[in-house]
Amino acid sequence: MLRTLPLVLAVLALGRTAGATVPTDAGVDAGTVDAPKTESDVGYAPQPQGPPPAKLPPRGQQLPNIKLIEPLPSGEWRLPAGDYGNTRYSPLAQIDTGNVKRLRVVNTMGTGIPRGHEGNPLVVDQTMYVVTPFPNELIAIDLDDPTGPLKWRFHPHPDPTAVGKACCDVVNRGASYADGKIIYNLLDAHTVAVDAKTGKEVWRTKIGEVNRGETMTMAPLVVKNLAIVGNSGGELGVRGKVVALDVATGKIVWTGYNTGPDADVLIGPGYKPFYAKDRGVDLGVTTWPPDQWKLGGSTVWGWISYDPGLNLIYHGTGNPGVWNADLRPGSNHFSCAIVARNADDGQVKWAYQLTPNDAWDYDEVNENILVDMEWKGKMRKLLLHPGRTGFMFVLDRETGEVLSAEAFVPVNWAKGYDLKTGLPIENPSKRPHMGTVTKDICPSSSGGKEFNPAAFSPRTGLLYIPAHNTCMEFTGIEANYIAGTPYLGASVKMYPGSKEFQGDLVGWDVANARAVWHVKEKLFPLNGGVLATGGDVIFYGTMDGWLKALHARTGELLWKFKLPSGVVGNPMTYLGPDGKQYLAIYAGIGGWLGATAFPSVSLEDPRAGLGVTGAMQQIKRYTSPSGVLFVFALEDPKEGK
Amino acid sequence: MSRFLLLIALAAAHPGCDRRPTESPQGGAPPPVKTPVGTIPGPGVQAPVATNPFGSSPLAARAGRQWFLGYNCAGCHGGHAGGGMGPSLRDKTWRYGSSSAHIFDSIAEGRSNGMPAWGVKLPEEHIWQLVSYIQTLGTEEEVNPPTPIPPPPQQ
Repeated sequence: MLRTLPLVLAVLALGRTAGATVPTDAGVDAGTVDAPKTESDVGYAPQPQGPPPAKLPPRGQQLPNIKLIEPLPSGEWRLPAGDYGNTRYSPLAQIDTGNVKRLRVVNTMGTGIPRGHEGNPLVVDQTMYVVTPFPNELIAIDLDDPTGPLKWRFHPHPDPTAVGKACCDVVNRGASYADGKIIYNLLDAHTVAVDAKTGKEVWRTKIGEVNRGETMTMAPLVVKNLAIVGNSGGELGVRGKVVALDVATGKIVWTGYNTGPDADVLIGPGYKPFYAKDRGVDLGVTTWPPDQWKLGGSTVWGWISYDPGLNLIYHGTGNPGVWNADLRPGSNHFSCAIVARNADDGQVKWAYQLTPNDAWDYDEVNENILVDMEWKGKMRKLLLHPGRTGFMFVLDRETGEVLSAEAFVPVNWAKGYDLKTGLPIENPSKRPHMGTVTKDICPSSSGGKEFNPAAFSPRTGLLYIPAHNTCMEFTGIEANYIAGTPYLGASVKMYPGSKEFQGDLVGWDVANARAVWHVKEKLFPLNGGVLATGGDVIFYGTMDGWLKALHARTGELLWKFKLPSGVVGNPMTYLGPDGKQYLAIYAGIGGWLGATAFPSVSLEDPRAGLGVTGAMQQIKRYTSPSGVLFVFALEDPKEGK
Repeated sequence: MSRFLLLIALAAAHPGCDRRPTESPQGGAPPPVKTPVGTIPGPGVQAPVATNPFGSSPLAARAGRQWFLGYNCAGCHGGHAGGGMGPSLRDKTWRYGSSSAHIFDSIAEGRSNGMPAWGVKLPEEHIWQLVSYIQTLGTEEEVNPPTPIPPPPQQ
């Protein structure tokens, strides 16, 4: 009865193929994975650790050689990161290193959606706005009333097809406020604007085709009259793009693709990349096999920053499609790149590709933090990019020149970067290939740090990087492009990079390009963001549900609190109508790594969840799915007795 | 045919109904219900159950494993069907039913949270082979089962 049909013919009937045959198990399970024994097995030695800053400036001041893009989020929080520069620094200083241990829960609210709660709330006009994971509801909470009742809850009803097209749980990373509207993205590839007072929809614009695998998860950044958004779907062979919408009407003003002809990428005479490798005509076509750029990923699902002085927006781009690099010889521009575009028309000023022909899924969508500071004796306009590659990049944000690239976690895929050419010095033994099993590549596909954003304090000059120490085994296999399904050509197993720790909050001295302290997490990578404050306390959450407060100068643990679910979101802080400082964070495990906590994932399959389960074997013991907003404030010392 | 019998049974079970639905509203043939996911209203009637023509053939399961990789099922449901973008198929939770016929329908018709309707593209034979493979998951007969995961870091 059984006939073994020629596999190739059957698959060709479905659509395009990359490669001549279909994936098989050959070579995939050649052996078990042994966790590396020591750090030195997996990484080149990072820079020697330096001393933390000797002292802090007087309260209310910054270090004299550091200047941030104003305004900073003092009372309110209107943009995803609080500010254009993505520092996630709030000058609020009521909560400080001396009193942080008096933080108490003052309000909680369940969203009713037990999926990954990435991002953070906004606070505008004494109203808190929470965007939930799919179905992407927008909740407005009245802060004038201390009991925090809802003002309204907006139900956008996105297409549920999107649930099965999103690579990494049904997350949403937040909203921007502008012109009386809350603007955010829906998982089914639409951007929506909601009246901030009434909760009524003002406009909704379709950005992508969910049936082809395009989804949206990132937080828009509003710049002047434009809401800048980007698509997700790099695991499904979509074509990455960044789109600017008119805040008033939702009409698309410009679209910049990250692959394809220069006219589509918005490359014109003003394009002046720093490195020769990023120069040329139609690189978005010529650096790919024929037509592969149409499936070339390079999506924009991370953070966008903006320099009003230069009028440039900065965004990263995701992995090239297909994952298997042997199937797309060439540098694959402009995947895995940092791109600077004119905010008004999207024209590219410069681009810098971090990993030509990416073979590891090192999306470079991580935040680009904009800081003016002294660099080797001279004030410069810097862009700080703690990369998926495990390297901490410092660029000149006017030109795209790389000033420094040093490892902040154990890294072995490259020894470093050649700052003359901008190219990585690759370790050939850690570049995966078709049909072979490459073991112990560090970091893993989830990176030395994932999308979860770092914070920078102008009072310490330190960047606080929520890092991963996770490694992987990577096997290149054949791939079929079938629209609306994953387009990988790879089989991946991830696992902890050492027995000692898998997460690391790195205090990074930007000026000296080295760590000054590490606060290690034994069990899980850090997959939530960081907040830095004028009170010299930094806050972040862990995947096993601890909200932690560290001393910004020394890294000393000052306070911690156990939340009912793991954290993959970002702490934020604001002033309430009573003039007091509050701290808000979501508890809600999920996202790519955190979805392993869901009942729908079986941990005995090391290739489940695109290969993350091996790194997350303990997750169901330590946390469970939920979705709760937590708000903290200082307890009055008199009340605590 | 079976739908007709079902409706007769339904009517018999609820004599108080003021209108007896003995035919579909438009008067045409009732839509086919291949494998009901819900309960069947009224007593006494069982839905016909489609059976996998390959049964528990190990060869069919091996072929199904190949389709599982080749049609990108593994990308969503995990390399050994442990889940990810789509749910685990290794566990005991089957929202749309765990019988061969139910699994066939889930593949062929698709499901609303993003599962494509593969019946439009794939020959019926491939879908039954996928069913054969899926039903070996977690059993002694599983084709290419997952290798053990190394022990976690010391506590």
